Amino acid sequence: MSTVVTPPESGSNAEATPPSGPTHRRIAWHLRHGPKRELWLAWSTLVVFYNLFFPMVFVVAQVQPPPAPAWDLATQVHYFHERHLGIPIGLGFIFAITGMTAVNNALIAYSMRRMSISRAFGYSYLLIYSLSALPGLLLLCIALIVATLRPERDPKVLGWLYDFAFLSFDGTMGVFLIGSLIWMVAILIDKNRVFPKWFGYLNLCNALTEVVVAPCWIFGRGVLAWNGQIAWWLDMVVFGVYQVTFIVMLFQMIRREDFGTGPMPDLPRKRATAS
Amino acid sequence: MTDLTDKNKRATFVPGQPDMWAFVLFETLVFTAYFGFYLFYRAKSPELFLHGQAQLDLRIGVFNTLVLLLSSWSVARCVQSARVGAFRAALRDVYITAACAAIFLFFKVFEWARLVRNGNGIDSSDFFTYYFFLTGIHFVHLLIGFVVLGVVVYQLRSAARRSQELVETCATYWHTVDFLWVLIFALLYVVR
Repeated sequence: MSTVVTPPESGSNAEATPPSGPTHRRIAWHLRHGPKRELWLAWSTLVVFYNLFFPMVFVVAQVQPPPAPAWDLATQVHYFHERHLGIPIGLGFIFAITGMTAVNNALIAYSMRRMSISRAFGYSYLLIYSLSALPGLLLLCIALIVATLRPERDPKVLGWLYDFAFLSFDGTMGVFLIGSLIWMVAILIDKNRVFPKWFGYLNLCNALTEVVVAPCWIFGRGVLAWNGQIAWWLDMVVFGVYQVTFIVMLFQMIRREDFGTGPMPDLPRKRATAS
Repeated sequence: MTDLTDKNKRATFVPGQPDMWAFVLFETLVFTAYFGFYLFYRAKSPELFLHGQAQLDLRIGVFNTLVLLLSSWSVARCVQSARVGAFRAALRDVYITAACAAIFLFFKVFEWARLVRNGNGIDSSDFFTYYFFLTGIHFVHLLIGFVVLGVVVYQLRSAARRSQELVETCATYWHTVDFLWVLIFALLYVVR
């Protein structure tokens, strides 16, 4: 494993440590001289993306939780009619921020480059997730916006777009499955202690719930349909726990990052008593 | 002081990596949710579920449960042998575990094929949806178990690698798969 980022020059010792004093001064120092500012920018992008993604998809566009796959054409047409404004606004916004996912994936790939493992792991992850953004996010948005754009379209066409959009979204679960397994193996064989091993096992739990989505290709109703209690609701709970955990894990990784190539240092423990 | 430290160590000791126990806990929670949904829908249509259960062959279920319990016993023996340095015996026990798992998988596929041939496919009724889903997701866990047993073999075959902690971590995974099957067996085959 080669050096990831060149450490700050030893000659500029005065600028290597943050000044003590008011918070705004310390923040200003980090923005101007902080060696981890790029990493913090990437992490902040991750947080901003998810904070925009969920309100836009769930509240504005109201396309998640997904509707029932077994609806008849008239109900599907009504579904698009009800959202003729929400879908273009909410998903149009998603178009604008989709590029942020590249930064998110890059940060996760960075975590794998910091490990004592082959770079193939990070590159595979980056490649597979970059490709999945097309069917999992963009095609879903395009199909739903197309369906709301001209409500006078033949209901059969709208029905086709309805199925295509939600199956396109579910079709990327295999990518998430393989992605989680790549990250899991990387964490478990890493010797640089970038992440705790239990997080590797949590990746396996997440991967196993992605498997559960597969039956949605068969079922039009019930717990395994694309809106089912197991295939969607329970998986969403697991994914929510996983997502919050990996955001916190990446946060801790950046705090511990020393830009070296060996094992990552632990965070200094808080003093139990004031000295 | 040393005694006290040893006592504390014993008190907090879990076999293998403590991290694996996080997996055990999380998977148990997820399966509890699966079982909860099964019981909820079973309570809504008890007749349909009873009819579905009557189509299952209890003998295959019992046989498979015994085979998997045997595999758990052999993996426990593997851990014991590895602890005392009897690595050849440990390796033999892992192979017995893998053989038991293969027998389980063979009979599971045989049972699936028999049910489908009789018209009880995955979408034939709510009971069979749950039956194929629960046994299928357990099947996936068991397939991962083969990789886990491969890790144990890899560890035991070379003196330079042998990590008792990893062997015990893998055994913990195997016991989890067994434990989940016992619950699935009880719910699908026995509770009527």
